[in-house]
Amino acid sequence: MKRRWFIPAAVLAAMALALGACGGDDGGGTEEGDGEVTIFSLWTGSEEEAFKKVLTQFTDETGIETKYEAARDFLPVIRTRLNAGNPPEVGILPRPGFVDELARDDALIPLEDLGLDADAINENYSDTWKDLATFEDTTYGVVAKANSKSTVWYKPNSFQQNGFEVPKTWDQLEQIVQKYKSKGEVPWAVGAQGRDSSWTLTDWFEQIYVRTAGGDNYDKLFSGELPFNDATVKEALEIMLGQVNNENVLNGVDGALSLSFQDAITRVFGTNPQAEMHMLGGFTGGIALGANPSLKPGETIDFFPFPTIKEENGDPLVGSGDVAAAFVNNEDVAKLLEFLSTPEAGRTWVSTGAIVSPNKGVTDDAYPNDLVRKEADQVKNAESFRFDGSDLLPGTLGQNFGTLLQNIIKNPDNVDSLLDDYQAEAEKAFS
Amino acid sequence: MSSTAVPGPVGRPRGRRLRDFSARSWVQGLLFIAPAVVFLGLLVIYPLVYTIVLSFADTNAKLKIVDWVGFENYTTLFTEDKAFLDLDSFPPTGAFVNNLKWVVLYTSLSLALGLLIAVLAARVRYESLLKAIVFIPMAISATAVAIIWKFVYDPDPDIGSLNALITLFGGEAQAWYGREDLVNYALIWAYIWASTGFAMVVLSAALKGISEEVIEAARTDGASEWDIFRRIQLPLLSLPISVVTVWLLVNVIKVFDIIYVLTGGGPGGASEVIAFSMYDETFTNGEAGYGATVAVVMLLLIIPIMAFNIRRFRSERVTE
Repeated sequence: MKRRWFIPAAVLAAMALALGACGGDDGGGTEEGDGEVTIFSLWTGSEEEAFKKVLTQFTDETGIETKYEAARDFLPVIRTRLNAGNPPEVGILPRPGFVDELARDDALIPLEDLGLDADAINENYSDTWKDLATFEDTTYGVVAKANSKSTVWYKPNSFQQNGFEVPKTWDQLEQIVQKYKSKGEVPWAVGAQGRDSSWTLTDWFEQIYVRTAGGDNYDKLFSGELPFNDATVKEALEIMLGQVNNENVLNGVDGALSLSFQDAITRVFGTNPQAEMHMLGGFTGGIALGANPSLKPGETIDFFPFPTIKEENGDPLVGSGDVAAAFVNNEDVAKLLEFLSTPEAGRTWVSTGAIVSPNKGVTDDAYPNDLVRKEADQVKNAESFRFDGSDLLPGTLGQNFGTLLQNIIKNPDNVDSLLDDYQAEAEKAFS
Repeated sequence: MSSTAVPGPVGRPRGRRLRDFSARSWVQGLLFIAPAVVFLGLLVIYPLVYTIVLSFADTNAKLKIVDWVGFENYTTLFTEDKAFLDLDSFPPTGAFVNNLKWVVLYTSLSLALGLLIAVLAARVRYESLLKAIVFIPMAISATAVAIIWKFVYDPDPDIGSLNALITLFGGEAQAWYGREDLVNYALIWAYIWASTGFAMVVLSAALKGISEEVIEAARTDGASEWDIFRRIQLPLLSLPISVVTVWLLVNVIKVFDIIYVLTGGGPGGASEVIAFSMYDETFTNGEAGYGATVAVVMLLLIIPIMAFNIRRFRSERVTE
């Protein structure tokens, strides 16, 4: 009986060893490329098309072919491929928190190791953007694109008909919301369904928090120095719940929780509009124009900067950006990253209208329409800038922050206990 | 015959030959099962062992083991992870509790509906058409099922057929998968729709296997139709019913795809189940050790069901 187990067990052990031996390939130095670079990102659709124009230009100039892969489920795919020892050569990382996480575990190749001059590349970016690609004083990538998130999208023609002025303060915005409601219109559409769209709520919160609690508290909150059950958080949530509630949002809170962010955009700017305004980042314009080509920027679609709430805190801009970083060390990869940091690549990219370039060398005239130009100006001229806070949170906290806010808009009475629970989780994550 | 029992020098070479033979057959047997052992070992046993090992570890962003943490993952899972199990609230919530709801409702309703349709359909002329309609969803992948029901449940009555029906009769449109209190039931119902066909087909086939004479005899003896169902058909169907139940149970404990596509675990994590937590912790959050812990818990839930199934197969072999 015992002997019968011996051989299968030996076979298993041998297999375990063989499998264990796979992977683990940390070669030093930049190798010669094979003439093709694989790039992995989460951009699909119009975002993918825009990026491919940049890649085509790269191939034209260098003769290096590119192979583009995309998955909306970016993190699961990148983790499994890293584990298997088969990462893409270049990845476009959607969260700076993830840059830190990967850099800490030596999954990324620093620019210096690629034979690139990190300081020369960073010349093209202001400090805010540079920091996103930097972990412990080492630069791990180039900031590929930027977005303003402090944008409120509205219908200029509807404002005109109703005699509304673009609001500069929160009070003015609240008055517009009241007037829309008294006319029987739905002021907001919010799309915060499931895990893929819960971040729209974190965007709402961040815009309000940075304006009520100020930039310093914002930095502290998202770096673990200020607890999430702090009074400033509750104050910001109260203001947020004043808008994101059953009375002001299309189909109420339940409706918001069953709508994706893309659908919410089309419920405002599509061919069968049901709501008047939408609070979401600069890319909203591109998605709306894609869904409804008859929209006229400046007439039927436009945005205004998120209004001031407390005078003393001013109007800090909250934005986000994606970092292109290398997983494999070879010359082709180095050339691609260098190319992506040039103003020239930036100009091609912004000409598609899909993005705003954080690159200083990309001037206003490169932008194809007023909506993106306006967003670019907002990014460039911001009096102060804050990065999307939930994207900076470590580990699972970022995703769970969206889930927390879903629970808060659903059960506003439980704010205190929900925040206490989240803070307990945060303490562990930051320790 | 009697010579075999004779001890002495004759027995020894004979015994050796027997041993030779048994050694050869042992090698032969091993050769025959080697392919199966290799495949099972590679695809089932190795991952199983690795998962258990992983559940005692902490991993990095590349999902590689960096530290051993003992039972910490298990204690966190059951005592601190409110998304998995929250006993402080009443009624208890969390992925584990949601999965229990799934087990009870999905298994019982799929089975009951399957049985009902199988029994009733046997009595009508358009039986095959009816059964084909109920069976069609079985041929649809869970992803497609999720997308179909996403449209059915859409909160906008212009899109969602369920809400269109409700508003037609003067009711108020509901956000079926946007409400914490409804989302699990909405999902469970969609999955029942997709699996009732399986229960029905198996039970219907078994029903056909019951001899007409038995039923005729019962009728002659004055049994009512309910008696026939209750005292003849149901007892004779007990084996296929337990087969279907086991299949449904195993299927529901590992349910994942329909939830992933339809709600993504939302709103506010209200529709997460065990398999969803496992995926989420491992791949989205990069906590492979913690995800493996969830997987082991899921395995522990499935093992008793499998054991029951295997024991039943054994006992059948004895009786037949």
